[in-house]
Amino acid sequence: MPVAGMWGSDLVAQRPEFYQIMKSPFDGTEVVCVKALVPDYAIIHVQEADIFGNCRILGPSYQDALLARAAKKTIITTERIVGTYRMQEEPKLTAIPHFLVEAVVEMPGGAKPGICYPEYLAVDWAEHKAYQKAVKAGEVPQYAGKMLEGRL
Amino acid sequence: MHTKLMSLSQATDFIKDDMLLAMGGNAMHRNPVLFALALSQKPLKNLKMCAAAPGIATDIMMPQSDTVYFGFFGLENEAGLAPGMRKGMEGDAKVKAIEGS
Repeated sequence: MPVAGMWGSDLVAQRPEFYQIMKSPFDGTEVVCVKALVPDYAIIHVQEADIFGNCRILGPSYQDALLARAAKKTIITTERIVGTYRMQEEPKLTAIPHFLVEAVVEMPGGAKPGICYPEYLAVDWAEHKAYQKAVKAGEVPQYAGKMLEGRL
Repeated sequence: MHTKLMSLSQATDFIKDDMLLAMGGNAMHRNPVLFALALSQKPLKNLKMCAAAPGIATDIMMPQSDTVYFGFFGLENEAGLAPGMRKGMEGDAKVKAIEGS
């Protein structure tokens, strides 16, 4: 797909599998085109979702609304399930609408040991260190087993 | 509209070998960490991952991935570099990094 930026970046020459320069069919000017990624699934953790998959993201949304639209389907994990009235009260705050979503999983603490504003505002350093150790030891599935106890 | 509420294990069953997955959030923020940990217990392989700034959830997926598309891949501040990413990409490791920004 065409993008307005990227002129002057070495990446255009360095990543031909990702960037190509083409001529616009409208006026013949050169346009940078970037390979469009179509994820099979976007997997997004949100603070609030209803059972149908309408989602609200509190605080920074990063690229998540775009990921949900780029992907074929989206899986949501959510800090809590809310009534659809929350979305009906303020429809513009629905970051991801239900028709993009295939699954909703209620998963409080689903972003731990990371941060999920405003639910938990600091990294759980003890758990993060345990994760780093597990990676080095090749024991991430065992670490996962401990973190997921009773949650599957 | 119909209900899509399900368990974590039911939702992870949608993910198959060779799929391209986009993890939400950013670095240490609002990543689907428990979902990624649940996937780490499955015999998945050759996954492709993408995000602008993938963080801990994508890091967890490195042993089951062969490609990552990203702008910046790391954790942040005291959390430092992404350990799974380093293990997956450094030296003769098998994960291909496609940096796009």
